[in-house]
Amino acid sequence: MENDELVQNMLLELRRGTLSIAVLSQLTKEQYGYSLLKALSDKGLEVEQSTLYPLLRRLESQGLLQSDWRIVDEARPRRYYVISAQGKAVLTKLKREWSLMAETMKQMLT
Amino acid sequence: MSLIDRYIAEVGRHLPEKNREDIEAEIRSMLEDMIDENSHQTGKPVNDELIAAALEQLGDPKLLAHKYAPARRYLIGPDWYEAYIETLKRVLATALPVVAILTIFIALAQDPIDFVDALGQAFGRVVDVAIGILFWVTAGFVIVEHSDAKPNELERAKTGAWTVAQLPEMPKKRQISVAEALTNIVFITGFTVWVVLPFVQSQGNESVPFLNPDLWQIWLPVFFVLVVLTLIHEVFKLIVGNWTQALMITNVILCLISITYIVALVTTQEIINPAFLATLSDDVVAELRDSARWARWTVNISAVITIGIYVWDMVNSMIMAKRLNRQEPKNAITAEKML
Repeated sequence: MENDELVQNMLLELRRGTLSIAVLSQLTKEQYGYSLLKALSDKGLEVEQSTLYPLLRRLESQGLLQSDWRIVDEARPRRYYVISAQGKAVLTKLKREWSLMAETMKQMLT
Repeated sequence: MSLIDRYIAEVGRHLPEKNREDIEAEIRSMLEDMIDENSHQTGKPVNDELIAAALEQLGDPKLLAHKYAPARRYLIGPDWYEAYIETLKRVLATALPVVAILTIFIALAQDPIDFVDALGQAFGRVVDVAIGILFWVTAGFVIVEHSDAKPNELERAKTGAWTVAQLPEMPKKRQISVAEALTNIVFITGFTVWVVLPFVQSQGNESVPFLNPDLWQIWLPVFFVLVVLTLIHEVFKLIVGNWTQALMITNVILCLISITYIVALVTTQEIINPAFLATLSDDVVAELRDSARWARWTVNISAVITIGIYVWDMVNSMIMAKRLNRQEPKNAITAEKML
């Protein structure tokens, strides 16, 4: 039982680190909060909304995303996010680091 | 939609003012997306149950707010910052001029010629009082801030820990701001402790008390009772936040009693100790008569100003109470319409 909680906490930390990369990678096409949540979950990454939305804000304030309020197809106004030029540059680097790390981990764990 | 409004108000309460509105709008639009989607999937119409489920999925509003604006180690955080600044401004703006004018008056009463010295004394007192106010108001808010438990991000691991049942009611629009009521409390207490009490105590052996010692028999005790009653009333104003009938009526009664007290005091009593007046000038009779007349005028003018403030307060509370009365049924209608 106690281990379960430990595992949960470690997973939480593990996900937190990778989530930024996942979000950046999905925002080459612009999305609003809920559609991004769906897109991530369709690819198998379940994210809590209360984690995703503040993260979008943080990435934007770091200059990695751009956003604006818009009305599309007569729906309600939504805030649309898309990756910025700086975000693209950062994502490229992160992707490379991620492949190296994944490779290392694979060797270490098998 | 009132559940959503309450949820968003609760999130906003814990956000820094800077981008509060924008974040609120964003959360609202995301919530509506989620609720629409759920309603679409389940085939159920949008109802409170569906809304509650969406809110619970989003979780504790306080926690959500702190994810948007991670809790730093604040002395006074966003929850209390605005009330703090507002209170400080109001207290300083009311107390400092009064302290300055009083100090100049007293200094001039003791030495009518040395105006520069009076200004100097006033400046010194103002700095003293300002530092005192700064310290005590800050200390009060720091205590309030830190008695409030801060959420910890890892708590989130326990899902379902928060339910809509914990959502507070929509914060009512206050007629009496927290800062206003606090300012009155701080001001009345400060005025009594730092301005009135020094007058009342006889100042050592050599100096003669400023106020007539005869007042101790009835008038001063009654004054302190009035101060305490007024303070209690202010505390109720702080808690209730609106000019309800009960608060308005007690306010009118308190004001009328205070006005009666002042009129009776000024017309029937010798407020300033004649012995004190006698110390002001040397044995010159004409000058003594002058300072006595001067003192009486000072008392009368202060009394008129104070009565004016009471009358204004009374009328204001009656108008506000009437406005509140008219507002309430209207609010109920709009709430129904929104549902």
